[in-house]
Amino acid sequence: MIFNSLTFLLFFGAVLALHNAPWFGWHQKKINLLLASYLFYAAWNPPFVILLWVSTVVDWWAAQWMVRAKRERTRKIWMITSVVVNIGMLGYFKYGGFLLDNFVALASSAGIAYHPPKWDIILPVGISFYTFATLSYTLDVYLRRAKPAQHFLDYALFVTFFPHLVAGPIMRPTELVPQFASTRRATPHQLYFGLSLMILGLFQKVVLADGFLSPVVEKVYDAHEGVPMALDAWVATLAFSGQIFCDFAGYSTTAIGVAMCLGFAMPDNFRFPYAAVGFSDFWRRWHITLSSWLRDYLYIPLGGNRHGPARTYTALMGTMLLGGLWHGAAWTFVVWGGLHGTYLAVERWLRGRFAGWKPGPLAFLALGLLTYVLVNITWVFFRAKTFGGAATMLQSMAGLADKPIPMIALLPMVYAMLIISAIVGTHWWMRDKTLEIAVERTPSWLVGSLLAVMAVMILSEQGKGSAFIYFQF
Amino acid sequence: MPSSTSSSDQAPKGIVQREGALPAGLRRTASDRPGEAQPVPTRDIPKQPWGRIIIGVAAALVSAAVALEVNARERIGLHAGDLDNSEIAWSDEKLRAAGAPAAIVGDSRILFDTDLDRFEQLTGVRPIQLAIHGTSALTLLETMADDPDFKGVLIVGLADTMFFQPFDGYGGYVKKWHEYRAPYRIVSNQIDHALQRRIAFLDSNYRLSVLAHRLDRDFRPGVEGPMDDIWKLQEVGEHRATHLWDRVEYDPAWRARTRWAWKGFKEKFPFTPQLIAKGQARAKAAVDKIRARGGDVVFVRPPSDPHLRVNEEAQVPKAKGWDVLLRNTKSVGIHIDDLPAAQGLPLPEWSHLSRKCATVFTDIYVRRLTELTPRFKLRGDAPPPLSRADCVPAA
Repeated sequence: MIFNSLTFLLFFGAVLALHNAPWFGWHQKKINLLLASYLFYAAWNPPFVILLWVSTVVDWWAAQWMVRAKRERTRKIWMITSVVVNIGMLGYFKYGGFLLDNFVALASSAGIAYHPPKWDIILPVGISFYTFATLSYTLDVYLRRAKPAQHFLDYALFVTFFPHLVAGPIMRPTELVPQFASTRRATPHQLYFGLSLMILGLFQKVVLADGFLSPVVEKVYDAHEGVPMALDAWVATLAFSGQIFCDFAGYSTTAIGVAMCLGFAMPDNFRFPYAAVGFSDFWRRWHITLSSWLRDYLYIPLGGNRHGPARTYTALMGTMLLGGLWHGAAWTFVVWGGLHGTYLAVERWLRGRFAGWKPGPLAFLALGLLTYVLVNITWVFFRAKTFGGAATMLQSMAGLADKPIPMIALLPMVYAMLIISAIVGTHWWMRDKTLEIAVERTPSWLVGSLLAVMAVMILSEQGKGSAFIYFQF
Repeated sequence: MPSSTSSSDQAPKGIVQREGALPAGLRRTASDRPGEAQPVPTRDIPKQPWGRIIIGVAAALVSAAVALEVNARERIGLHAGDLDNSEIAWSDEKLRAAGAPAAIVGDSRILFDTDLDRFEQLTGVRPIQLAIHGTSALTLLETMADDPDFKGVLIVGLADTMFFQPFDGYGGYVKKWHEYRAPYRIVSNQIDHALQRRIAFLDSNYRLSVLAHRLDRDFRPGVEGPMDDIWKLQEVGEHRATHLWDRVEYDPAWRARTRWAWKGFKEKFPFTPQLIAKGQARAKAAVDKIRARGGDVVFVRPPSDPHLRVNEEAQVPKAKGWDVLLRNTKSVGIHIDDLPAAQGLPLPEWSHLSRKCATVFTDIYVRRLTELTPRFKLRGDAPPPLSRADCVPAA
């Protein structure tokens, strides 16, 4: 189920009540959480719970046998088994159709007319997220960064824990499993702050992303006729930068709030990314748990920066291309990842070339704005459904479109630009702060008023919206 | 040393203590610890009077809910009991249609202009309402043709232009309606409806963003702004029983606005003979499919005001659309032109009947239906016939 649904409201109320019920012991409360998490996942499509079980059982035993193995080769076999099973499931459900389409296209280009049956497989929601979470468990054990969990229940709950299950933050076992060892219950202040985070997250998602930004984006990116004017193309793309941030960061903030209400801590997934200066900075602020996962389990094993520049650039580009593909089974996502890889490589080269140069305040700001603009170019490939669509948008943004037409009405455009300005401005103001620090330094009447306004806006938006964009990944 | 995944965690430290050498007030994240086992995260609780804050937020929410409800009822004219006409609501009815004796598909005209209660009073059969506003009846006819479980009579209500248009319209989702049957969506829809039976402001047209966007009075030349769309036209009851929103009847400004939004039904694309022929062929294939398994299809053409009719006729003439459709599919059809008793029923915004007149129209066309097909029989205890006088106030 999704956080912005009435079903979740009832579900969460019941979970909270059970979790705080005095007549259950900690072991039973963990079982309650596990069952609730399965119910949360089954609310999309009950049979897909089996995938969760497969992933859980295979990785549990792979880690157990890895630890018991006396030979390094046996350990490796169990690690590879885990990787093959997890990536195999991900590949089958997420990339099967993509691979088949590309194979058909390749065969066709070679003059072979191959017409396979339609690949009609539904993508299990959140499979990319929990696959990466469980993989980190076996990989950490294999790399001897972590010991395996002592109790199957704790491990199963780590995989399934509903706040992070379908859209992250992608948690590592070392971050969550220890939290299941002893009784967890939110203090009143944790509960209230957790609820406040949920209000903030849902405000971002329901009001900003779905209510005000999404219609502007759709008006241009999903237009059936005409080519947008440069202004419309830029506004739609900037609006998408806000929509994707509010959608995903909103989900993460809500998830962190939900976990906090239950007494658990989850890691930051965003750190005001539109105030990034440079792309390595951007990736330290955007989807932190994914970028750090890719760094730890892909970039570093591929050689990282320890084997000379050529290997470093290859590892960088390989990591970002696969990171792009992780987001979706389409070449547009690969190009999105490739662009980020290119940015990172160029930045790395420039840092080497101009080592020691420290930008002044104006140059710093200009570099920040340049980063934001270049990130927006990549969002075009992320949002456009085809290369043709992306090319049209880029052409319009460059002012080179033939017979462009206006597409966005004035007020929706003004709302979108105000929201984007507020988001970017807030990110710069919060650049070197945490939300908690900012909240603590704000007068309580203002904190209360802001929360009340956000809650009322969620209510007047009727709390509903579409599914989170990242669920499709 | 490997981190343990089985040791207990320390309680959150508060915001004073920080990890590592980061700027004051910033905590470390996984991005600051490359190639390490990530520790249990620390989450700070800012010092604030959270209890009082949450009570304040709750009070604001209650006050806002009351204000929204009063405004919705008193100033906007929304009513409790007006239910979301969502994809789930449609798919619920689609499931009920399996094995049902009759179902209705079509666009908003047959949707608004059929009073299901009256239909049942006359025939003892309550058809399943599957019509969708702004949707080609042909798309829905094909959807029902593809459902082997439907073996009843399908009443296809159509507006000529919408029937033959080359796209599905709003109800394109019916082609993948199974995808909307996620358990959480079904439950959410039930909860939505339970609340909407009591609360008027839970109308998707009354959302903050929708209202804010509609403040745009086509300020930007060349752009069709939100005001060009109709804000609200219908009210939906249980099982998708739908009628025209009463404000369209009693508020002249609202009525004028809606009439303007129809833009005279002057479509932008040409209804070429090929397009119409393609529609005819699709309709025949679908009707044959339903009849092959024992079902039947009848067509109904509800009224439209002369202001719209003239353009509809210009684009899809009755002789080339309706007449050929009945001939090709060998179907029974009830056209508004063939119902003398239904002539002159008022159409407040030119395209749909008022709620009361929808009951009269239903009475008239269902009685005619019982004469044309043995599938429907007039009940012995059917209420007396209605006429225009039952819905039009005497001058």
